[in-house]
Amino acid sequence: MHAVDSPATAPPEPVAPSTPDTQGARVRRRRPEWTPLFLALPALVLLAALLAYPLGRMVVLSFQDLQLRHLFSGATPPWVGFDNYTQILTDGVFWSVVLRTAVFTVVSVSISIVLGLGIALLMGRVSNGVRVAMMITMMFVWAIPQLVSAQIFKWMVDADFGVLNYLIDQIPGVDFANHSWFADPTQGWIVITTLVVWAGIPFLAITLHAGLTQVPQELREAALVDGANAWQSLRNIVLPILRPLLVIVTTLSVIWNFGLFTQVWALRDSKPEQEYQTLATYAFTQAFGRSEYSLGSAISVVTVLLMLGVMAFYVRQMFQIGDVD
Amino acid sequence: MSTTPRSQRSRAGTVAANTVGVIFVVVMAFPVYWVLNTAFKPASEVLSFTPSFWPQNPTLDNFRSAIKAPFFLVDLRNGLIITSTAVAGAIVVGFLAALAIARFRFYGRRALIVVILGVQLVPLLALLIPLYLMLNQANLTNTLFGVTLAYIVLILPYTVWTLRGFIAAVPRELDEAALVDGCSRWQTFYRIILPLTGPGLVATSIYGFIQAWNEFIVINTLNNPETQNLMAWLLQNQTQRGTAWGPLMAGALITSLPVVVFFLVVQRNIAVGLTAGAVKG
Repeated sequence: MHAVDSPATAPPEPVAPSTPDTQGARVRRRRPEWTPLFLALPALVLLAALLAYPLGRMVVLSFQDLQLRHLFSGATPPWVGFDNYTQILTDGVFWSVVLRTAVFTVVSVSISIVLGLGIALLMGRVSNGVRVAMMITMMFVWAIPQLVSAQIFKWMVDADFGVLNYLIDQIPGVDFANHSWFADPTQGWIVITTLVVWAGIPFLAITLHAGLTQVPQELREAALVDGANAWQSLRNIVLPILRPLLVIVTTLSVIWNFGLFTQVWALRDSKPEQEYQTLATYAFTQAFGRSEYSLGSAISVVTVLLMLGVMAFYVRQMFQIGDVD
Repeated sequence: MSTTPRSQRSRAGTVAANTVGVIFVVVMAFPVYWVLNTAFKPASEVLSFTPSFWPQNPTLDNFRSAIKAPFFLVDLRNGLIITSTAVAGAIVVGFLAALAIARFRFYGRRALIVVILGVQLVPLLALLIPLYLMLNQANLTNTLFGVTLAYIVLILPYTVWTLRGFIAAVPRELDEAALVDGCSRWQTFYRIILPLTGPGLVATSIYGFIQAWNEFIVINTLNNPETQNLMAWLLQNQTQRGTAWGPLMAGALITSLPVVVFFLVVQRNIAVGLTAGAVKG
């Protein structure tokens, strides 16, 4: 309803109510410039004020040294040049966080894509009933909010009353009672990765399954007739056709998993130990946990720069699609 | 093509595939089943060393204690206000911008698209520090208004991009026919584009609702419990109470319910929005 009212006021100049057909065409030709700019103006203002400006301020902040007292007094913090960057880039802890985030991204995205593609292919092979069951299950998993799914996992791996320890404990000769999954970072990261993969599979499998239905059946049958086995038909027929879609979902997964925050935050009770810090939680902890806002900003700037390549790639892909229509 | 050996192989293959499929369903569904199972158990069964796989004495106690817990109802109300305002704002503003991108060729269009797609990928978390400082300076922390502004920007880029797709799907010939028949630009918009993009507007609003409803990092940083939403409530109750798993899982169920229902309604459109047109290539 609101959408109906606003446009009338937003572009003040458009055509008078009773426009003869020729004039309509003429007006379109005469001022092609102003109407779209007026339409886009509110969005541009909002994006400038609440995205571009903060982004700029973040960069500025990373060259300053903002302390808590500046927050209260409102005084301009002192300029420190590249000090913040020097500090983080020469800090072994920072590099271990970068490395951990990168390794997690590569491992979790690889597992997710392989499993997602496998499930998508499986959905093409199973009976209708099973496919529907798979679809419904994945829809529910996909719909669950990130924080909630993290809390469910936290409950399931609970050391004392978690169902996972109970189930593993049932295996004869294995004692998993009161086993803490986060004492050893490797085990903890296995839990986090499982959670991320579990939550990520529905998007991947459903999207890739939709993509697979676009692969012409005749092509696969022709390949079979020509003596190709399943693997050859997958590698030489299906994957090349699926490639554009695979590229996009992989890019999105990299962007999402590289920014891992919620799962770690919830599983580690809002104060992740050093071994569980990712770039996102590290920047947050520096800024809001230790009031090192400038240091946190510098870390965020570096994070965005690290992501820039992947993002540019995604924007280019989407841009080509958007340019078509 | 359907020679005997092949169809036999297929039948054995289908049985194998179905088995794997069923195992997959069980594994995927287990956490969902477990949260339901926990939420309806009395405390004595939740904190048991031998968990039962079905509530022996099903009860609604957990739901009662979640609702009665401090700030639950306040945060529920806050969440509804913030989310609906942010979605309404983003839809109005986003629709206009989408109209500009989908229906006009103008100087700066490319730049606008790049901005819309690019900012979508800048993690909101990275912007949290300056956003906090800005809103703090403007005395807008601990208010519903400040966080609503942040949420509008959170959902705006996706809104513009998705609505662009829906508008572009309306054949341009319809616009032109209406113009030829004497409609003004405004009438063309009102009578042609708006009704035809109705379902798209609904789907996009719902997706925006889900995003804003699920957000908790920004609101948890900017606001105190009195001005937070249910997601932040969940996080705080997890850290404060530690082991009160029954009420927490019940609260999580209540919090997820609107999102899950909405999500199931618009799932198809969400996938399309994220990967638009990639298959057609």
